[in-house]
Amino acid sequence: MSCAFEEDLTAYVDGELPPPHRARVEAHLGTCAACQGTERLLRVTVARMAELPAFTPSPSARRELLARVDALPPTWRERLAHLLKPGVLVPSAGLATAAVLALLVAGRARVEAPGLEEWDAGALEVAANLELVEDYEVLGLDSSDDLEVVENLHELGVQ
Amino acid sequence: MDWDPDTQAMLKVAAGDKQAFAWLFDQHHASVARFAFRFVGDRARAEELTQDIFVKLYRHARSYKPTAKFKTFLFRVATNHCLNEMRRGEYRVARLTAEAPAEDDAGAVEMPGPDGERPDQALSGRELEAAVGAALGDLSDRERAAFTMCRFEGMAYRDIAEALEASEAAVKSLIHRATLAVARRIEALQAGAVPARSRA
Repeated sequence: MSCAFEEDLTAYVDGELPPPHRARVEAHLGTCAACQGTERLLRVTVARMAELPAFTPSPSARRELLARVDALPPTWRERLAHLLKPGVLVPSAGLATAAVLALLVAGRARVEAPGLEEWDAGALEVAANLELVEDYEVLGLDSSDDLEVVENLHELGVQ
Repeated sequence: MDWDPDTQAMLKVAAGDKQAFAWLFDQHHASVARFAFRFVGDRARAEELTQDIFVKLYRHARSYKPTAKFKTFLFRVATNHCLNEMRRGEYRVARLTAEAPAEDDAGAVEMPGPDGERPDQALSGRELEAAVGAALGDLSDRERAAFTMCRFEGMAYRDIAEALEASEAAVKSLIHRATLAVARRIEALQAGAVPARSRA
């Protein structure tokens, strides 16, 4: 059966015990031959880890990594930032408006067309969502940030 | 606020600065590669994992909150990635395959023995490597992660606890069990009780 102090010995060797605890272990070591042996073994082992051959990564790793990063698809945030630029936003809004009108006509809905100022914000949101829906399957959602962006779409100030 | 250089660089990465990312890679690449190597026991796979870890770091830079040391954050990403890879099971065999001593071991560095140890008991560098690799392969994933961060990166127990999202008491226990297992393995090898690699 191992000594009750045994589990403290590695932390003791590593200098990770708080002073009072360390003093108790030191006092115990003065009386326990089994723990003295274990402590010696642990010290030798810890010292030997520094002697292991070094692992040297490939020199091409940096270039390969930067190439991978350059090839990454844009993030949701980057895509939204691009989408909300005026040069992209206005034509998108026009397309969205046309799409909504076409749906209304095709469905022969008896709904009066709203004034521009009344549904402009909604059209812009449709445009933003069309872009998001299109990308959803391609990019996938791989972070809570992405989900947050989608959830907070209404708060992005699209007006 | 005055951040340390790593944190400053990471905040720049969060703002899309690829030069800052390259700088961070230069600073920490070797550490992450060492960690991944000790984790999976396979050099080629360790290189792939290291690349994946840094890509993940770049992609999730915006989630970084400069409340912890950057290295702790980095090793949390690295540990989670390695653990996920191991749980897939695809690399389970590779991690158990520590590099065995070569037949021609003439070029190996003789390890200095501790006081009182006879010279003929000293292990070569390759034998030691194989013994440590085999012992690490027998540990649990968390023991191996804690041991690697402590022994090869010199991280404090508190930082390891943060990286593993565990308590310091748990980390103390993980590191003790791992260190003792490695110690016993080396001891047995020196006594001629087991070959450096008992599991192929």
